[in-house]
Amino acid sequence: MDSHPEVTSGTTSGSRENTPAGEPFDPVDVTWTRVSTKLATARRLTGLIGLVVPVAVVVVLAVFVGPVWWFGLIVPGVWAVWAWLLVGRQVRAIGYAEREDDLLVRRGIMWREIVVVPYGRLQYVDVEAGPVDRIFGIARVQLHTASASTDAVIPGLPPAEAARVRDRLAARGQARLAGL
Amino acid sequence: MTVPEDRPDAVAPAGPDAVAPVAADGQWHRVHPLTPAIRSWQVFAVLLLYIGQDLVQNVLRGDLDVGAATEVTRVRGWALAGGGLIILLVAGGGATVVYLSWRFTRYRVTHDALELEHGVVSRRQRQAPLDRLQAVDIVQPLLARIIGLARLTLEVAGGGDSRIELAYLTETQARRLRNHLLASAAGVRYQTPEAPEAPEHLVFTVPVQRLLGALALSGASLWLGFGVVALVIGSVVTGHLGFAAGALPATLAVGSALWRQFSTGFGFRVATSPDGLRLRHGLLEQRTQTVPPGRVQAVRLSQPLLWRAAGWWRVQVNVAGYGRRGSERVEAGLLLPVGTRDEAVAVLSFVLPDLGVTDVEHPGPVVDAGLTGRLADGGFVPSPRRARWVDPIGWRRNGYRVTSTALLLRRGVLHRRLDVVPHARTQSCGATQGPLQRRLGLASFALHSTPGPVTPVVDHLATDVVARLLAEQVLRARHARATAGPERWMESPASSD
Repeated sequence: MDSHPEVTSGTTSGSRENTPAGEPFDPVDVTWTRVSTKLATARRLTGLIGLVVPVAVVVVLAVFVGPVWWFGLIVPGVWAVWAWLLVGRQVRAIGYAEREDDLLVRRGIMWREIVVVPYGRLQYVDVEAGPVDRIFGIARVQLHTASASTDAVIPGLPPAEAARVRDRLAARGQARLAGL
Repeated sequence: MTVPEDRPDAVAPAGPDAVAPVAADGQWHRVHPLTPAIRSWQVFAVLLLYIGQDLVQNVLRGDLDVGAATEVTRVRGWALAGGGLIILLVAGGGATVVYLSWRFTRYRVTHDALELEHGVVSRRQRQAPLDRLQAVDIVQPLLARIIGLARLTLEVAGGGDSRIELAYLTETQARRLRNHLLASAAGVRYQTPEAPEAPEHLVFTVPVQRLLGALALSGASLWLGFGVVALVIGSVVTGHLGFAAGALPATLAVGSALWRQFSTGFGFRVATSPDGLRLRHGLLEQRTQTVPPGRVQAVRLSQPLLWRAAGWWRVQVNVAGYGRRGSERVEAGLLLPVGTRDEAVAVLSFVLPDLGVTDVEHPGPVVDAGLTGRLADGGFVPSPRRARWVDPIGWRRNGYRVTSTALLLRRGVLHRRLDVVPHARTQSCGATQGPLQRRLGLASFALHSTPGPVTPVVDHLATDVVARLLAEQVLRARHARATAGPERWMESPASSD
């Protein structure tokens, strides 16, 4: 696993005061680990599968109703190009960091989110891989605390890394487990 | 599939006349024999209604059909007989299933755990360790209350559905068992055959006039009022009742929601005891709740706009396990349906006795600032002025205040809310930021609590404030957990492991 601190470069706009705490989405002394770029490919494939039906409808209309309908392909085409580019950026924005006592997960470019999960609060960890995920050899790790609003998901980890994260979390969680 | 032992010494009778056993005898007990009847009375009622309706129709038709062709009556007679047979079969089958499920349900209480075994085809056994106990409720639906039975529900926090429900026991059994469960959970070892009942000290009750007033001033009644007016006007203008019929379901739904709130909040009394806060309420279904100390994960004091003139507040809590059931969740977490400001603050101090305010000798000013204050009142850290672009009305109320034991989150100008989360109960926390917030250098902060009515968030704080809060809150939470009191609240901290 290699770290990509440049992931968050250029995101400090708006913070007027310059305090040591800095940005909530890019705390100092945290090195983010990015998820596999295969996740972008997997998401693109899923998106393309979703496009099949509308494209097929437009093609059928164009063939049987009139050639004007070929222009109908512009909408899914533009959408596909935009989503293609966006997905790449979104996946690059996903990051996680294991600190001494907690795990950080962040995502989003326009709407940014960060979650801090203390190891002592972990109840269990899920690792799952759907059919598309398995084609590309990635898995997602989901962290569960006693709170349902803890939305800490790390998608797009290579299975070995996912297992390593899971075991590490489990071990650290056990060591620091406290009552509710 | 194993058949439970049927030896008389293994299964103590649970009838009302039997000598009630000492709670923690480690023996298997059955629930009350009338349980099936209470559990399925609706089915019986529907069945009776159906048969009754059938009979009445039959009699009416019979009267009308005197002297009609015999062939028709014979066919109808056969059809009726067939229908009756099917009903009988269904009823018999249902009764057998219900009887078997009663027969195969048994529970056992030891000093440390409660075990419940049930299921006819696939046997299920669930064991609840008592030191993980979060809350104990005694619930009495109307019919059970008439007969003198009660249901005991026990919340042990676990993933998913972790409640144990013992239905039904006699009232004495239920109370005795509750006392034992709470005593064990508290770490009290008693020598007497029965667990001592913790003395209750009634603090206050909610008068029914106030409850009615509060409901009348709620958003739901406003909608109901609008609905009724619209119905009347609509039917008058259009001249026929089709319009009214169309809008009726929505009106009925709002009405039933109001009724529900009224019947749950009816006769609400709040008492304190060494076992924790004890609440009793309910018009038809009476519920006695005990929330032990330290089990409250988050508290919300809130005031809808229309209650402001009356100065009323509502108090809700998150308790682990309470939030798992959709329909019951809001009422289960209700500590005070409507109360004066003093009562609300008193309830807050019962569930969180130490607010950790050190700079003033009295937590009053801080809580006051949380309830009605603005900007930096009471040491709150408010939203910066630039937040008015994204939250023109509410930005002055957004704010948080850290004390040595809890985080107070304040928001809402129209609907005021103050959420209090003890540091030791913080699960995880997070921040979000939308594009506008980012341009303005703002972010929203959220604490993640167990499922329930309280969702502690505070919007539109300065980014550097959120960054510091995120970093420090995790540390505070860890420190508070390390120094937290024992899970068994009657034990001294030293003796617990």
